Amino acid sequence: MAKHWKLALTIVAGLAVGAGSAAWSMKRGGLSGVGAGGWYGNSVTGSVDADPWTRARVALTGLLALNKSQAIYFTTNVDAAGARLREDCRYRVAGAALPARWWSVTVYADDDYLPLNDDDALSFDATEVKPDAAGQWTALVAPQRAGEGAWASSRKAGDYSLTLRLYQPAKSAQDDYASIPMPSVTRIDCGGAA
Amino acid sequence: MNAGLKYALAFALAAGAGHVGTIVAAPFAIMHVVTGKMSQDRTAINRFVFGERVTQNSRNVVRPSPDLAYSSCVYDLSEGPLLVTAPPSPDNGYVSLSVFDARTDNTAVFDSSQFPQGIRFVLAREGQAVAGGDPVVRTSHDTGVILDRRLAPTAERFAAVDKARRMNSCAPL
Repeated sequence: MAKHWKLALTIVAGLAVGAGSAAWSMKRGGLSGVGAGGWYGNSVTGSVDADPWTRARVALTGLLALNKSQAIYFTTNVDAAGARLREDCRYRVAGAALPARWWSVTVYADDDYLPLNDDDALSFDATEVKPDAAGQWTALVAPQRAGEGAWASSRKAGDYSLTLRLYQPAKSAQDDYASIPMPSVTRIDCGGAA
Repeated sequence: MNAGLKYALAFALAAGAGHVGTIVAAPFAIMHVVTGKMSQDRTAINRFVFGERVTQNSRNVVRPSPDLAYSSCVYDLSEGPLLVTAPPSPDNGYVSLSVFDARTDNTAVFDSSQFPQGIRFVLAREGQAVAGGDPVVRTSHDTGVILDRRLAPTAERFAAVDKARRMNSCAPL
C-alpha cells in the first residue's frame, strides 16, 4: 500500500514540476524569433502555424495578437548595450522610416500591462515623431518629459519592456523580418543624472 | 527494474505530461477567462461590446495598445453562423476586424484598406450551411472572439471613431 502512495506522490510531484516548468516557459521563456538590438519578433505570432509553446506564450503575454499580414510585433526589455530597461533611466529611441502604414512604440510594465501612471503618454507613434530629411527620427522614453519631441512615459513602469507595432507592414517586411530597420534604444542616463 | 529507477521514470513521464498538458491547455483556458470578461460573464454573446479608451487601468487583455479603440464580439456558433459588419471610420482611418478561435489562433482578418466602404463577412463553423455571396470565414471551434481595432491615438479621434463603431453588428444570419 505504501508503495502505491509513494508512486502516486511521485507522479503528482512530476505533474506539478511539469506544469511549473510550462508556466515558467510561458512567462519567462521568451519568444524566439528575428530581431536586432535586443528586439525580438516571431513570424508565426497569431498564426495557426504557431507551435504550442509559441501559442501558449503569446496567449499569456500578447493575447489577441494579429498575424503578420496585418501587424508585426517586436518587443525588447534591454537597451542597445544589453542592460535591462529601468524606470529610473532615460532612453533615446531612434530609427529610420519603418515599412508599414502606421507604427507605434508602447511601454509595458513587467506584468504585461500599461504602467500605472496618468501621464497620458503611454506610447509614441509615427504621427508624433519628426523625421529629418534623411527620414531619421528620435523619441524619448523616460519617467518625465524633456522638451517638445515624442515621448513615452516610463513612470511607475519598474523594469519594463517596449513593444513596436508595425500595422499593415510591407510585403518585404512580412517576408523577411531581418530586413526591417529596427530602432535603437540607447541609455542616456539613470537616476536623474545629467 | 529497481524501485529507484521506477520512481525516476514515473517522475520524468509525469513531468513531461504536466509540461505538455499545461502548454496545450493554457491558450484555451486563458481565452475562456478573457472572453468571459469581454462578454460581461457571457451575458453579451453574439453582439459587440465597445471598450472605453485604453488607459493605464485597462486590465482585460495583456498589452493593450493605447492608440487603438477596441470593440469585441464574443461569439458562439453552436446555433448557426453569424453575419458580421463594421462601417469605416469617418476619417478613413485604420479599421480591422480579426477573428480569434478558442485556441487563440487569428484565423482571419479584414481591414479598411481591403474594404474601404466597410467590412462584411459571415463566420461559420466548418460544415455549417451558408447562403449568400458574402465572404465566409470557417472555424473549427464554436467559440472565440471578433476584435474590432480602430486607430484612435487621441481623445478626439477616439470620440470620432466611437460613433462609427456603434453601427457594428455581429448577429445570427
